[in-house]
Amino acid sequence: MDISVTFTLNGKQVTVKAPAAKSLLRTLREDLGIISVKPGCEAGECGACTVLMDGKAVTSCLVMISQVEGHQIVTAEGLVRDGKLDPLQEAFVDEGASQCGYCTPGFVMSAKGLLLEKPNPNENEILEAIGGNICRCGAYPRIISAIKKVSGEQH
Amino acid sequence: MNYSHYIVHSPQSLNEALGILKEKSSEVRIVSGGTDIMVLIKDDLVKEKELLNLSYLNELKYIREDEGTVKIGALTTYRELEKSDTMNLNAPILVDACKTIGATQIQNLGTLAGNLGNASPAGDSIPPLYVLNANVKLQSAESERVIPVSEFFLGPRKTKRDPNEIITEIAVEKEKPGTYYFFKKLGLREANAISLVSVACMADLSEDKKITTIKLALGAVAPTVIRAVKSEKLATGRQLDLNLVDEIARSVSEEISPITDIRGSAEYRRRAAYGLVYEGLYEVLMGTAKRVSSGLEGVY
Repeated sequence: MDISVTFTLNGKQVTVKAPAAKSLLRTLREDLGIISVKPGCEAGECGACTVLMDGKAVTSCLVMISQVEGHQIVTAEGLVRDGKLDPLQEAFVDEGASQCGYCTPGFVMSAKGLLLEKPNPNENEILEAIGGNICRCGAYPRIISAIKKVSGEQH
Repeated sequence: MNYSHYIVHSPQSLNEALGILKEKSSEVRIVSGGTDIMVLIKDDLVKEKELLNLSYLNELKYIREDEGTVKIGALTTYRELEKSDTMNLNAPILVDACKTIGATQIQNLGTLAGNLGNASPAGDSIPPLYVLNANVKLQSAESERVIPVSEFFLGPRKTKRDPNEIITEIAVEKEKPGTYYFFKKLGLREANAISLVSVACMADLSEDKKITTIKLALGAVAPTVIRAVKSEKLATGRQLDLNLVDEIARSVSEEISPITDIRGSAEYRRRAAYGLVYEGLYEVLMGTAKRVSSGLEGVY
């Protein structure tokens, strides 16, 4: 059964009609054109679909669209301000923190969730924050460097 | 993946939710954080056509303390428990366990009551709840009752919750300052791994290292989480030394009844249980195990 859900997506209020049990991941991609959010395992294990829900990193494959009414959702698209990448995104580019790039938006959103809570995280906190994200190209050292690069800045 | 045939009820209050359950309890599946059910929905493994989404019941999101207990609202997430001063001070063993569940993204969604209601023998918040003598509060439209967590589970995926009831609160006993505790689990990797074996232990030692009380609970080694009662008895009142560490760990590995499944064999689980208990008690013996703090400055 379809329902209508209204929430804030990347700072703008949106209303979407979708099957009530559809995942936030599929709704973002198929109904709202947000394709930075990647389907990987769709079982909460790979982190490729990570978004911020009320400022906290969550795997959007495990969120039912029926649970999103009134919430704030931010995706990698929403980190771009006036056409300018977020410093965290810039750092991923500068450090070459991806190869195929499929996991990258998920890593960026997990890192963003951490930096919003702890602007100056230590290495352990970084590792913990991205523990739920998998990069099969193995770009982990550069991903960690990118996050470290913007640690301590304002977010 | 067929999302379209589900009806999702999203009540705005507990009363409304209980009313819905009263009408059609056996046809409705309760959804809390959603981290387990979304995986099942993807694979078309949910037989119920109607879902009861509790995520808007803010009245069930709280952590309150009174004299001897901490009361946790059913919809409190793992991450909220981890960040709570009250929890870190009074039930740090539960905090440690929540930190090992899934990864940050899961901890931001999953709830304590969801872990209980889901009733997996490998649910990582459950062994700590056993050693904290937790009580589970169940409410229906007509009544409410409280069941000790040790009596709540009937088997894998089976609990004493009636179809018209909702888990609304979990109450845990406050740990005494100075008590040694550890939560250890073995999974196939550190993040997002389901436990092969998990152990929660709380122990009080006298000045000369005699065990005055000890509680040991294990996950993923029996149809439900279990207390290792025989091993606790064997240990109580005795001098903790290397021999006793070995004896207790051996006893635990014999007391459990693990099975062989895709994650590991029964024999492997017995050895792993031995190893986890040995490691934890060795740290207690050496004085390097964690102890319940008497003030917040000792927590962080």
